[in-house]
Amino acid sequence: MTTESAFTVIRPGILATFQDLGRRDGERQGVPSGGAADQLSAAVANILVGNPRDAALLEVLAGGLALRAEAPLLVAVTGATATVKVDGHPVRQGEAVHLDAGSVLDVGRATAGMRCYVAINGELDAPRFMGSAAPEARMGFPQNLSAGQQVKVHSAYQGLANPFGQPLFRLPVPKPDLTPRVWTVHIVEGPEAHAVEGIHELLAGAEYTVGPNSNHVGLRLAGPVRHPEGLGEIVSHGVPVGAFEIPHGDELIVLGRYRTLTAGYPIVAFAATSDLPLLGQAEPGRRLAFRWISREQSVERLRVQEGELRMLEQRSKTALESLGVPIDATMA
Amino acid sequence: MAEHPPGSSSPQQFSVTPYGDSAVLLTPTSTDPAERRLAATRLRAAVAHHRPRGVVDLAAGLESLLVEFDPLQVSHDLLEDTLLLIAETSDHVAEAGDAREFVIPTVFGGDHSPDLPSVASELGLTVEETITTFTGSVLTINLLASAMAPMMAGVQFPRQLARLAEPRTDVPSGSIMVAGTNAIIQPFPGPTGWRVIGRTPLTICDISRDPAVSFRPGDTVRFTAIPQERWDELAGEFLEPVGGLR
Repeated sequence: MTTESAFTVIRPGILATFQDLGRRDGERQGVPSGGAADQLSAAVANILVGNPRDAALLEVLAGGLALRAEAPLLVAVTGATATVKVDGHPVRQGEAVHLDAGSVLDVGRATAGMRCYVAINGELDAPRFMGSAAPEARMGFPQNLSAGQQVKVHSAYQGLANPFGQPLFRLPVPKPDLTPRVWTVHIVEGPEAHAVEGIHELLAGAEYTVGPNSNHVGLRLAGPVRHPEGLGEIVSHGVPVGAFEIPHGDELIVLGRYRTLTAGYPIVAFAATSDLPLLGQAEPGRRLAFRWISREQSVERLRVQEGELRMLEQRSKTALESLGVPIDATMA
Repeated sequence: MAEHPPGSSSPQQFSVTPYGDSAVLLTPTSTDPAERRLAATRLRAAVAHHRPRGVVDLAAGLESLLVEFDPLQVSHDLLEDTLLLIAETSDHVAEAGDAREFVIPTVFGGDHSPDLPSVASELGLTVEETITTFTGSVLTINLLASAMAPMMAGVQFPRQLARLAEPRTDVPSGSIMVAGTNAIIQPFPGPTGWRVIGRTPLTICDISRDPAVSFRPGDTVRFTAIPQERWDELAGEFLEPVGGLR
């Protein structure tokens, strides 16, 4: 039976919003899918608490969120590396964590990566636009959380059927690897690569730095750029997330989930979809290196990632069920 | 609606370009821009209608269609074949059967029309003639652009209008804008490179409604000039088709 729980935002940090995996069928109407920049970590957080992957959750930019549970809650924090505490005691990221009513969850400042995700067992009472809780700020749907805000959660969670008060299970969790100093992103050839002499060697050999004015619309990368020759004007056309554009200036732009849907800049490469979560975590100053792969290899990497997610869904479901945690029926 | 474009029976009227591991761009191969636009519009309607397995979403360009898909549900090769098959039959998909008609009250002049004088002089018309030409045009919504903005074709200007060299950074919602022989309405305040010639007091997009806009590709639009005095009376009213929503 679903009851009404709630939590109160004590402080949102720099920016915390409702979030999910984005809207469906929006792009054909001019609204970008949007959604979590790191889709993998958002899906994993939901899976760890027994929710469907695309359930509404919280996205916390650079950490700094604190919230107080007003009823027992099962939560999980994933994404950017941060110190997570419950009532002052450190808990692990990438695991289900029980909160008693009155407990305070504190997500510290991110030390690697940009965005933490906080999932809570049940359904968040978040506003929806086109069926999604993802922000769409350009259209007046910012979804920002503010200090003092109380958020209802429709959940049947009452606590755990074990004597320890915590789930105490640790599953292999797929996540973008935020530990190296330089992050390696796999890329696939783009339609205008042929017009830029030496672009393969250039992108494979150089390091690029994420610029300060990067956001979920796009990452602006500083590093060596060459411009195409003999292309003429490109008629503006639809562009996917992860496209590597070379605009008129000497920079490289990688499109994010809130991109403008059409553009006419030359595209030299596309990020592998399996590496979009990593790009979604790239903070200003982060250094990136690129490795070319074939489209087939790129699909294969995505297949591996999807397999890991499905495995996690099965294991998480088994573990949570044994603890008497209500599982959403749509979870695998 | 329009007659069959020549060459539409050819099975290869589109080229297919992979756009990474999860998208393909379909571009009409015709050398005539008007034919390319018509083919792209029809293809979009046909793909949206058939919803081939694995297709996640579509992003429309004026002369192309980006098809975004899940490569774990459908392979590139299979999807490409399916899309070309759909393209072959896209002439037959009825999309205009339930087209609706919009008449949009617009205030021309003053702060609402910063680019009207330069547009008129570029066209070799007076400001009055420019307004009359614009309000005398029956436009067709080709696609919904950024933030559901209706992108319309068919402005009867004597020549193609250039865009602004330096985009404006903050254009108010309801602004009526032109470029080429196209028009668009700014649904929310924001930047644009289009040239602002008027403004409607109506609300174009209301995200508290479902759907948030009342128009669709294929609908027709006319603009009608109203005096500034009527602004307050109409301000904030939701744009609905002639005869109301049905």
